[in-house]
Amino acid sequence: MLFSLIGKQMKMLIRNKQPLIILLVMPIVLITILSLALAGVMDNGAEEAIQARLVLVDESTWEKEKASIQEFLEKEGIIGPPLEALLTQIENNNPIQLLENNILASSEIEKYISVVHKKPEDLDTIRQDKEVDGILSVPPSFRLNYVKSAYFDKQIEPDLDLYLSQENEIRASIIQSVISEWQYGFTQSLALSKAGLPIEEVMGNTKKVEKVEQVLEDHEREIPSSIYYTVGMLVMFALYVPAFLAGFALQEVQWKVYDRLILAGVSSTLYTLSIFITGTLVALVQQIIMLSYGKFALKIEWIGLEGMIVIVLSYSIFVGGLAALLTTLQFRSKSDGILNAFNGFVVSIFAFLGGSFINIGDISETLANIGDFTPNGAAMTAILSIQKGEELAVIWPFMAVLYGYVSLCVLLAIVLFPRRGVTV
Amino acid sequence: MLQAINLHKKFKTKEVVRQVNMQLEAGESVGLIGPNGAGKSTTISMLSSLIMPTSGDVEWQGVSITKNPESLRKVLGIVPQEIALYPELSARENLAFFGRIYGLKGPTLNERIEEVLQKIGLTDRQKDIVKTFSGGMKRRLNIGAALLHKPSILIMDEPTVGIDPQSRAYILDTVKQLVEEGMTLLYTSHYMEEVELLCDKIYIMDQGAIIAHGTKDELKSLVSDNQTIELKAHILSTKFESALINQFPKATVRKEEDLLTVTLAKSEEPLATIFALAANNDVMITSAIVKIPTLEDVFLNLTGRALRD
Ligand SMILES: Nc1ncnc2c1ncn2[C@@H]1O[C@H](COP(=O)(O)OP(=O)(O)OP(=O)(O)O)[C@@H](O)[C@H]1O
Ligand SMILES: [Mg+2]
Repeated sequence: MLFSLIGKQMKMLIRNKQPLIILLVMPIVLITILSLALAGVMDNGAEEAIQARLVLVDESTWEKEKASIQEFLEKEGIIGPPLEALLTQIENNNPIQLLENNILASSEIEKYISVVHKKPEDLDTIRQDKEVDGILSVPPSFRLNYVKSAYFDKQIEPDLDLYLSQENEIRASIIQSVISEWQYGFTQSLALSKAGLPIEEVMGNTKKVEKVEQVLEDHEREIPSSIYYTVGMLVMFALYVPAFLAGFALQEVQWKVYDRLILAGVSSTLYTLSIFITGTLVALVQQIIMLSYGKFALKIEWIGLEGMIVIVLSYSIFVGGLAALLTTLQFRSKSDGILNAFNGFVVSIFAFLGGSFINIGDISETLANIGDFTPNGAAMTAILSIQKGEELAVIWPFMAVLYGYVSLCVLLAIVLFPRRGVTV
Repeated sequence: MLQAINLHKKFKTKEVVRQVNMQLEAGESVGLIGPNGAGKSTTISMLSSLIMPTSGDVEWQGVSITKNPESLRKVLGIVPQEIALYPELSARENLAFFGRIYGLKGPTLNERIEEVLQKIGLTDRQKDIVKTFSGGMKRRLNIGAALLHKPSILIMDEPTVGIDPQSRAYILDTVKQLVEEGMTLLYTSHYMEEVELLCDKIYIMDQGAIIAHGTKDELKSLVSDNQTIELKAHILSTKFESALINQFPKATVRKEEDLLTVTLAKSEEPLATIFALAANNDVMITSAIVKIPTLEDVFLNLTGRALRD
């Protein structure tokens, strides 16, 4: 009986043009328009954000150090052609050279880090520069010390100074991961070069790229307009599902089909439950279609599958509960006034507070906090958190808000359902 | 046996059904007739447990249905005055849905759907969406939807309203056949001839109350005790009217422009007297029609108003 009721409701939705237009066509058009129109405003930052700016202050240039290294090698008894050969090798294969020419200049790493060279005297001004994410200072005799420890087993740690800006955690982390990999690499190479392995082999790039990707995954992803508006429209337009189902319910009463249901022994509980389940299913399908549209048409890469499933399912359940409640309220009021008020007023306010159209947090922190207590706002913030790459745990408070609303809807629907029959 | 006992219904302060007593025996076909707004649909809704009476009771097999409507609902088929169907679904889908909510499924359901489609003559159009149906076809399907679970009592609320004569004839045939097969029927209409054709017993309702009831013959004898004489005259004077009333104290006299309608017992032979009175009062009668009463006149007779406008 329940399945027949749900199946019938689905057919009514599918065979009417209006619900299809409002529940699917409109949001998809809006997603496309908004995400394209606002891509310029929202996404420029995102592209640059990924590329970290590294300033390299090299106080130990080859030119400066070549003489002292040669002097040291001669002192160690290397002269003639072998000295020339060794000097060339050191020039090309010292860690700084590798970092600049092989690592930072590689196309994989270039995507993530841009490098600027500065003089030591600029150091103070660079540190003030908010655009700079990291400064790597190579101390004066760094190359000499490296030669001493790498080739002659002298225990002199070549030390480096890496300064990381607090401005953008994610970009700083990218620099840190590459530099520390590199540092680890050449420390290792000190040992390995003695074992006969060439240094450049020890310090390949693949591992560093992986590290950077790891960093990107561990950290917040910037939300481009496509994701923002897909999520915004998805939570907003799901709110139109309940009014359609409640509208059909009112028609059923007006057409007296509801009388047939009552005579057939369909209880009010079963009837309301069927609307609850239909609402949940429709919202679920609607959201899946929109997420797929985002994925295939807007090339969005949705991450955090478990989180997404939990949120989308919970939000669908809320939509179902709301459908049941609206049906009940409307049976009470015996007119579609409630539905019009809901669609016209409540959805707009909720969509605004929830941030479907603009990031309300940019206007007011307080409004954003209130927005997170609207069901759609809670779902939206939860999805965006997951899309930023945050942990699953961050969504639970928002899910608590959603299930609070679900309980409220169910409770009110039960309490308010007209006990003495429904007539118009 | 379905019985209404002093059924009374008030909507807010408006009394819509007043102290109605009705009886529906198994196998019987009963007509409920009355003008628009008489309270027929409201009475039917109470009889079928869909709305609660303000006072009074409905008993099914001697048990009140207000608390236990289930046993009645199981055997009840109802054809609402409205087209109670899903317009976006096909005829077959509608029937399948209404069958399923009665717990029918599988081959039994399909068999029943075929039988019902046959009965209402929509086998050829079963796949079509109801929205595309003519008024008559919708009415037929509206009846079919009430038959799937093989009810033993069928309550029909103006099932022929607003349709073409052929569809109406088809529906009346179908209903007649159902009655012949033993269906207990309560049939509401404001067409006396439909009720006359289908029903053994007739209730006449006006302004919420049952103003007369009985078998066809009983009602006919009720009207055939009276006769109606329509008089036309050049100038009708009130003096002539009063003289008529004095002469025939039991008669009802109604005046509409130049038409005077006199209803009085059939036993009287009034024409000679009427002409004499007219002459005495200087009224020149131009035409006099003695009407053989019909069932519709019962209503006119009882209420002073026509059944339909
Ligand atoms: N739910 C309601 N609330 C208020 N008044 C109502 C309600 N239902 C019916 N009425 C009123 O009760 C009166 C009787 O209505 P009802 O539908 O029972 O008449 P009916 O005999 O079936 O008329 P019709 O031949 O037009 O179908 C009408 O005046 C109607 O306006
Ligand atoms: Mg009616």
